[in-house]
Amino acid sequence: MDMQQQADSGLAGLSFGFLTTLESPAHGLFGGYLVVDALGRPLEFHCTAPVKVSRAQQILYGPTLQGHLHGRQVGGALLAEGKATPAVVLTDSDAMLHVRPHTRLPVALVRRGAAEQASGFAMGAAFVSPHADDAARAEEIEAQLAALAEAVDLCEPFERIRAALDEAARH
Amino acid sequence: MTGNEQLGNANSPPPVRSFGGAAFRLPQIIVTDGCELALPTPPTLRLPVAMPAPAVTSIAPLPPRPRVQSHFFARPVALPPVAPQPAGGPEVVAEAAAKACRGADRRARVAPPKDVVKLSERFYYLLQPDLQTMLRGGKLTFPRPPFPFQFEGMAFLLPRHSAVLADEMGLGKSMQAISSIRLLVRSGEARRVLVVCPKGLVTNWARELADWAPELLVAVIDGDPGRRRWQWSLPDVPIKLANYEVLVRDRDLVAELGLAFDLVVLDEAQRIKNKSSQTNRAIVSLDRRRSWALTGTPVENSAADLVGIFEFVQPGQINDRMTPKAMAGAVTDHILRRTKDKVLTEMPPRLDRDARIELGPEQRETYRRAEEEGVLRLADMGREATIQHVFELVLRLKQICNFDTATGESAKLERLVAELEEVQASGRKALVFSQWVETLGRLRKELAFCGALEYHGGMSTTARDEAIRRFKESRDHSVLLLSYGAGAVGLNLQFSQYVFLFDRWWNPAVEDQAINRAHRIGAAGAVTVTRFLSAATIEERIDEVLRRKRDLSEAILSQADGPTTAGLTADDMFSLFELAPPRRAAA
Repeated sequence: MDMQQQADSGLAGLSFGFLTTLESPAHGLFGGYLVVDALGRPLEFHCTAPVKVSRAQQILYGPTLQGHLHGRQVGGALLAEGKATPAVVLTDSDAMLHVRPHTRLPVALVRRGAAEQASGFAMGAAFVSPHADDAARAEEIEAQLAALAEAVDLCEPFERIRAALDEAARH
Repeated sequence: MTGNEQLGNANSPPPVRSFGGAAFRLPQIIVTDGCELALPTPPTLRLPVAMPAPAVTSIAPLPPRPRVQSHFFARPVALPPVAPQPAGGPEVVAEAAAKACRGADRRARVAPPKDVVKLSERFYYLLQPDLQTMLRGGKLTFPRPPFPFQFEGMAFLLPRHSAVLADEMGLGKSMQAISSIRLLVRSGEARRVLVVCPKGLVTNWARELADWAPELLVAVIDGDPGRRRWQWSLPDVPIKLANYEVLVRDRDLVAELGLAFDLVVLDEAQRIKNKSSQTNRAIVSLDRRRSWALTGTPVENSAADLVGIFEFVQPGQINDRMTPKAMAGAVTDHILRRTKDKVLTEMPPRLDRDARIELGPEQRETYRRAEEEGVLRLADMGREATIQHVFELVLRLKQICNFDTATGESAKLERLVAELEEVQASGRKALVFSQWVETLGRLRKELAFCGALEYHGGMSTTARDEAIRRFKESRDHSVLLLSYGAGAVGLNLQFSQYVFLFDRWWNPAVEDQAINRAHRIGAAGAVTVTRFLSAATIEERIDEVLRRKRDLSEAILSQADGPTTAGLTADDMFSLFELAPPRRAAA
């Protein structure tokens, strides 16, 4: 069974998570989590109220701030609200990889184009790097993502999330 | 030794307490001679005792969890498989189609309309994949690669319950509407769709539906009342196609059957511009959830035209008392209009030329006599002269400009024959428009050398379809003669390189529609448009008036103030003969 056949055989019920943030100068940091089906159509969307970090908090948390803020605060809160169990949660933010200790779901970083010296695999125009904790599942993740990549550019759903977060910020 | 205290007051430095030496148990100094000696003035230590509390700043840790808002969407229905196209037919998947045209990287997104205010509903639209992705996901096929602006047109229609697609003629409004219908039907958002078009375009629509949505069943509503009742009642046919006349006739039947539509699409929606017409009333009485109007000329004569169309699209949104600017503001989110020069930079050029025809001596004399007599008669009638009298004179003069009623002489025909000989010799095709069926008949006889065919409202639908087929497929027929009434709308004749307006219509928008039968998407090369104008006649005067007045539509659609009419009014008609209109004469 090749990769495409594997992908097709389990399409029904298969879902994928997309997790990212939007920095609003006026409001703070919004987080968004979109779950889509294998054709890229939305199933769930969760977004946080904005989190604003003070200068003092920046100093206090120091270099741990971004990981704590994105991974534990925002990412953890969003994944906790999800009802679906996606095959993998993709993020386009390094800081968001810190969510991994707070979820059982595999997490991977997606970037446009091939990443030099990064472990992972190319998928269409994107390069996918699974979290170190999920490195052993890279092949499984690749097979499942193949179905989605047939329909959607893997970087595209992040644009949708940001458009929705932008709308939330203006609402 | 005693100590003493010094208490400060409000304006003093912080209170200070002084302590005597005893209080500090100052050691006595014993000198060597055995005497005790105490220092008479022990040192005093001054210590502040009311110290202000130090400022404490608490840095709160980040809150444990920000508040999360959740939205859940129904799992999309599984798309049914698309019936395969006939072998060898033109089939292009959406992705290939998108790549095939310029600007394919520009993704068309479905944006929420302004009247959708609930955040969860706005999210529903914002979180959908772009249109190209949706089409690719559904493995939908197209017979021809759509242009990026056509994807954007679909993205405009899809989320809207009230929409006017007002693209300039030739930009593929029907294809955009059909593709949008297809997506709605296949996603389960629409199960009952009604398409209403002019009678002469039913065949054309049926063909376009078969091309662009081959998997959808279509019922064409026609025939006797019993047959129509059966067709209206067909439960498993998602698309019903009817002409305006049938709809007016079956208005009560539709109500009796309790038909409700998820979507009603009107083609050539200017047909309902008159609010008090039977057609308008029949259309607006339809039970429907979505209302889409397709028209290249939403403002044909006056701003009131748009009000009539909006009685169907979004009742009450605009009214006759609004200024063009206010009207533009009220309709802006409901109307999408693109012009060829904006979206089709690679469209073949359209070359316009006015052919000033000098009438021959006999034809000139007939014309002069008719005009003089006519004007004299109108002058004699004075206040009794009506617009109808003026209209009759204009028609008579225009007919003489075509053919001398006394001798049959025609300077226009001579010029046309010369032009068409060249067209035929080069293997090209030409369209010739006239407002009179009688003129078309005379031209057909004179143009037998190039196999001229006729297409007008006096012919049956079958005969008209056959004329189009022969003109399209046979090299023996290089000229198609069309009436403005029947041939100006809906036909795709982009394989024609020449358009001749043998006489002029009253409204330039109708002339544009006629021209765009040839100058539209798919045109293989430049389209040359020739307007025949008989010099120093009523035709030149009408042309002058129309040129001054053709900007209203663009004025409203571009949110600017503008004149209030684009066609000829009663005042204009009287002014053609330098006569005062009746109301002024009465004053």
